[in-house]
Amino acid sequence: MEFIIIGAIALLVIFAVAQYNRLVRLNITVDEAFAQIEVQLKRRADLIPNLVETVKGYAAHEQSTFNAVVEARAKSTSATTVADVAAADGALTNALKGLLAVAEAYPDLKASSNFLSLQEELSTTENKVSFARQFYNDNVRALNTAVATIPSSFFAGFAKVGARDFYEVENPADRDVPNVKF
Amino acid sequence: MAENNFRALQSANKGKTYFLLASMGVLTWLVAYSALTYFGVGTTSAIVPIAVGISLVGVWGSYYGSDKLVLTMTGAKLITREDAPELFNVIEEVVIASGLPMPKVAIVEDTAPNAFATGRNPDHALIAFTTRILEVMDRDELQGVIAHEMSHVANRDTLVSAVAASTAGAIAILSDFLTRMMFFGGGRRDRENQNPLALVVSLVVLLLAPIAAMLLKSAISRKREALADATAVSFTRNPAGLRKALEVLASDTTVVQQKSNAVAHIWIESPLDGQTVSKLFSTHPPIQERIATLKAMESLGPTAD
Repeated sequence: MEFIIIGAIALLVIFAVAQYNRLVRLNITVDEAFAQIEVQLKRRADLIPNLVETVKGYAAHEQSTFNAVVEARAKSTSATTVADVAAADGALTNALKGLLAVAEAYPDLKASSNFLSLQEELSTTENKVSFARQFYNDNVRALNTAVATIPSSFFAGFAKVGARDFYEVENPADRDVPNVKF
Repeated sequence: MAENNFRALQSANKGKTYFLLASMGVLTWLVAYSALTYFGVGTTSAIVPIAVGISLVGVWGSYYGSDKLVLTMTGAKLITREDAPELFNVIEEVVIASGLPMPKVAIVEDTAPNAFATGRNPDHALIAFTTRILEVMDRDELQGVIAHEMSHVANRDTLVSAVAASTAGAIAILSDFLTRMMFFGGGRRDRENQNPLALVVSLVVLLLAPIAAMLLKSAISRKREALADATAVSFTRNPAGLRKALEVLASDTTVVQQKSNAVAHIWIESPLDGQTVSKLFSTHPPIQERIATLKAMESLGPTAD
């Protein structure tokens, strides 16, 4: 009889430890994934001065576009919370789109090898940002599901792990769903 | 939720793999049991461990050293970032999307567009591309191909195929041994007491088992390919990229120079398809079927990330 009780308690302890560890692990993965977004955003921010200088060499009078990019970049480097980072990221993406649209009008600029390699770097970094975001959101999804569903939900408070924020693109234009009428 | 989104496809293909691997186990047990019926305990308990041992040693070596072995078998050369910065950019994108470590990258000089992945675990992964695939594919298509290869890494397909190959190998060796022994008149001494029907059944099992094992092995390979396509979409959320890449591969009639059966299963498009291999024995699902599945995923529209 004692063996059965001891065995049951041991199984219960193993189960609790496994649940606790799983939650902590999920939480750390979300931290890691967010750090990856920040790494990629930093990379993009580092590319910008170089890109602005290159475009300036060909289109010096497009001052307002440059200002918008530099401003958005300053904001994005100072943001810390998930929502702030996401908002600044969206604004910078838009400003960069404006800059590249300006570049379209200058064939010499578009043909320069410096600009081409910067453009490749920028587009891969944009992709990396969005994949890092997707990876982060997938992990938040897994964590939030674990926090909200039984049995792991019983251990969430004990492990001091709670639901986390999704990284949402704060860009009104991206939210506009095209109007489809049938 | 729709039946054909990538999450549903992933779990369906995983389930099918488990079922097929379990069938492999049942088949092995069946062969051992037939050996027991036909030859008795003494012979069986000597032969079965030997066959399993030989097969395990052979397959384990090629599994453990798969990244290095395949390099020599296919003539692939490792490259660094400086050799192909754009290719590395696209690979890094998929690496971030998958959350896996960066794999080693190799190039195979070949006039056919193709690619493969290998390595015993994500830390020892290797993905390789033929020179031709880098010429014919645009960024989106290449991203789809890379995502497919990284999916093999994520799903541990080198391990799955090693398990399948070692079981099939053990069954083949076992059946070979035992049929030879029958030929030389081996068998248990007390055969008079035995049900003749059981003897016939075990004989049939022993003769047919290697073919059944081959069929199971091919079926597992096909399910892993379908799974890799679904996982690739979970990485890129862009079924159109991989679909276009497969269309390019389908329309291309050149095949990879090496037609070695040993490494056929690792390529994204089977190099053996030129021959009239029956569908049951092929290592890949028909390419049109894969394209159709991806098209169905496209019709679901963009998934919220």
